[in-house]
Amino acid sequence: MTGVSPPAHHEQAVHRRLMRFGEAESLATPMWEEDDTTIRAIAGHLSSLWDALPAGADGDGALVTEKGLPHARASVLNLIVTVVDAAAADRVVHSLTGLGVRHPSRAIVLVPEPGSGGAPLDARISTHCNAPSGGGDRVCYEEVVLTVRGEAAAHLNGVVAPLLIHDLPTHVWWPGDPPFGDPVFDQLVDMGDRLIIDSADFSDLLAGLRRLTTLRRRSGIGDLSWERLGWWQELTAQFFDAPRFRRYLPNLSRLRMRYAVAPAASNRHDEDEEVAPGIVAPLVQPLLYAGWIATRLAWRRHATMVPLADGAFSLRLEGKHEMVDLEVAPVETDEARPGDLVSVRLRSLGETGAAEFIIDREGDDAVVATNADGMTALLRRVRMESPREHELLSAQLTTNTAGSVYEDALRAAAILLASSREPST
Amino acid sequence: MATSPDTTATVEEEARPAAPSDRGPRPNPLREGLRLERMAEPCTMVICGATGDLTERKLGPALYNTLLGGFLPPEFTVVGFARRDLDDEAFRDHLLNGINRFSRNRPANPAIWESFARGIEYHRGEFDDPAAYAELARRLDRIDRDRGTAGNRLFYLAVPPSLYPEIVNQLDRAGLAASGQRRRGGGNRGWTRVIVEKPFGSDVASARTLNHEIAAVFDEDQVFRIDHYLGKETVQNLSVFRFGNGLFEPIWNRRYIDSVQITVAETVGVEGRGEFYDATGALRDIVQGHALQLMAMFAMDPPVEFHAEDLRDEKLKVLRAVKPMASKDVAGNTVRGQYVSGWVEGEKVSSYRDEAEIAPDSQTETFVALKLGIDSWRWAGVPFYLRSGKALPSRVTEIAVTFKQAPLALFARAGVPQIDANVLAIRVQPDEGILLRFGAKVPGQGLHIRTVNMDFRYGSSFAVDSPDAYETLLLDAMVGDASLFTRDDEVERAWEILDPILNTWGSGNGGPLHFYGAGTWGPPAADELLERDGRAWRKP
Repeated sequence: MTGVSPPAHHEQAVHRRLMRFGEAESLATPMWEEDDTTIRAIAGHLSSLWDALPAGADGDGALVTEKGLPHARASVLNLIVTVVDAAAADRVVHSLTGLGVRHPSRAIVLVPEPGSGGAPLDARISTHCNAPSGGGDRVCYEEVVLTVRGEAAAHLNGVVAPLLIHDLPTHVWWPGDPPFGDPVFDQLVDMGDRLIIDSADFSDLLAGLRRLTTLRRRSGIGDLSWERLGWWQELTAQFFDAPRFRRYLPNLSRLRMRYAVAPAASNRHDEDEEVAPGIVAPLVQPLLYAGWIATRLAWRRHATMVPLADGAFSLRLEGKHEMVDLEVAPVETDEARPGDLVSVRLRSLGETGAAEFIIDREGDDAVVATNADGMTALLRRVRMESPREHELLSAQLTTNTAGSVYEDALRAAAILLASSREPST
Repeated sequence: MATSPDTTATVEEEARPAAPSDRGPRPNPLREGLRLERMAEPCTMVICGATGDLTERKLGPALYNTLLGGFLPPEFTVVGFARRDLDDEAFRDHLLNGINRFSRNRPANPAIWESFARGIEYHRGEFDDPAAYAELARRLDRIDRDRGTAGNRLFYLAVPPSLYPEIVNQLDRAGLAASGQRRRGGGNRGWTRVIVEKPFGSDVASARTLNHEIAAVFDEDQVFRIDHYLGKETVQNLSVFRFGNGLFEPIWNRRYIDSVQITVAETVGVEGRGEFYDATGALRDIVQGHALQLMAMFAMDPPVEFHAEDLRDEKLKVLRAVKPMASKDVAGNTVRGQYVSGWVEGEKVSSYRDEAEIAPDSQTETFVALKLGIDSWRWAGVPFYLRSGKALPSRVTEIAVTFKQAPLALFARAGVPQIDANVLAIRVQPDEGILLRFGAKVPGQGLHIRTVNMDFRYGSSFAVDSPDAYETLLLDAMVGDASLFTRDDEVERAWEILDPILNTWGSGNGGPLHFYGAGTWGPPAADELLERDGRAWRKP
């Protein structure tokens, strides 16, 4: 085994990780690095990785516990990540470090460079050991970064297959805009049990949403944007857990949503001519949220989307007893990540009067309020931190099946979005 | 059975009908497919004895973490009920201090705490003063109206058991004990539940008396007897391990299992609880609740469904099949010990009798080892060895199963004697996990067999903060799931098993009290208990 001194930028990356993930102190140890290598050599190094650790490979022999035993190496899944370039690989590696605590995996990061000459395959293997915040055993896993050049880049599945741990579920994470229909993409999707994407990254949102609905027949889908909505959905559902408020649910008459966009100076999406005004990828969260609530409550689209000023739009839906006005508007703010919901307000006309259900984000908290029937307004403050990418990924890896709820919401979101492309009535 | 929120929901759980107390117009359609499936219903939690240690260390932090997890509804309200002269603000500070010191998420987020604290009140009163309860009733009615808690009330008796009868009776007289239809004025106006802390009596008679006193006021399905041990993840996982895998259940019987050892070892001494402990001893303190419950969960038949009553029926069947010892058998099947000075974890420990509040001639056991049998078709003839003690070398709770040896010494001719039996050890704490020991050939030309361990640690597959046992159990009680709480008949049966031992020891016919050095695995007599059967304790 060749011990190598890590390149300087790698060292920095390690340092950043240590700084950032205070809750799970992590140690990345570069174990082996070779340019112009072979799959067989990589596989060989991977299999001998944990039985012959070089003493003090990370400086202080931290791969050995107090009892003198090697750290538990653990694996519950294979994770294949495809990225566009080395910089993206660094970002992904960063996210994976946070992930290791919850989902120890063999992570294989692929950097395809089909157009470039040079050696077909460079590899870098690192091990990661995380110490859980509450004490306890360190958890170790390994990460392989492969740069694949030339023709081999068109056959990534063949490159990856020999490196997977047998019998474990394989997840394929494709950060960025997935190249639906590309043979390399399809091969990898077929290889995995589950594809993880972020629909906020789709350059053509409508086409992307439609592709996803068809893709679901072949593979499980994890959507990080859907995961971002999880807490909003939970808070929304909580309004109606109380039986006395549940009766308002069939009579909802207005759903108002606001989502964050970057302050004007840095927002270039508005000039995008490809899509209707204001409808760009950051819209995916309001669309999925609206799709979710519409399908849960069996609302149907009644009219087409009406663009309003400043990128806002409205749309009329047909609920069970009432027509429902859906209003979506962007808010310029740098307090929330662009695309994140910042406010949801539901209004209902009950038998005894109107009621309003409000979730307003304020920084890392949210104010949740219910005003109904002249009762004392119920107001409380809850956590509303933007989950980090690795937390979203982690949650998606825990869920076995997104189930039909996501699928329904996805289809509805596509329908809502498509209506913007029809002439308004 | 409680499921932790971040495990994936099974189809069965999703299909489970809404809780019976949920009489809403229809199930909430927005709940489908959401991650949190165990949301507490709107309710008021009344903590009797709210200024005590338990509230500060455990209940406050558990409530706060449950809140952060999103499991508490906006209506949720806490009323602290105690004698001390506090106002709402001072009581909130008391809770906040506890959270800032003991919570796994700390310090408390000021904005979230401030919003939660609006639903926290303090009710000052004497536990024997009817007027205090009448006032409490009015307060709870007001909270129902103002905060929409729908008449649902959870009383937590965080007081010594001697106060239970008084409080329970006073609650009844103030009309606070009845649930649902039985409430004054009729109609279904919410549920009432009561959580009581262990110890549940000190022998059969006292346990029965206590149960009777509670039963005179509350129905059994309103009573939640809490033993934090049962809220631990690994204890819950014991059922998943047994019934969620096809591999283990077929060999979980007398045909394949030679013997079972259950160890609950503590390194600490009595830690300032001298008076309580000297009147209690290891058998009552640990075996009655923890060890017998672990044994019942280990040995029970698969329940028909994973619901509280089915589970507890199966556990009770195991306990009923444990035949109480005849007086003459006690000396041969039990060993009691008391520690003398020694070294534990590198520190000098003085003798038990030299600890504060301990009688200098105390006969209380700090160590106990038992051999029990379960007279059922599944377990007849399989000895269950239980041991528990204080000032032992390491803190460990585990169940170790020794399987029968291979029927033939097939490798004896090659110079290999009978190889060690397979052992499956389920560690509950501290390194939660499962270990399997088996023989393997040492590589090389000759035939050498060596025993190897296959070691699965939870820590290495799920390195996440598990919820504290109190978080799990409080939420269970709010949801109405009694799976992890002990039923009256289980408690009484456990005492029926232990009473003959306690009585025989007390009469002086149960064998001597042995002494063991702190930092050793108990007195040699405990080893002899197994050696007689040709077995030995595991060194965990």
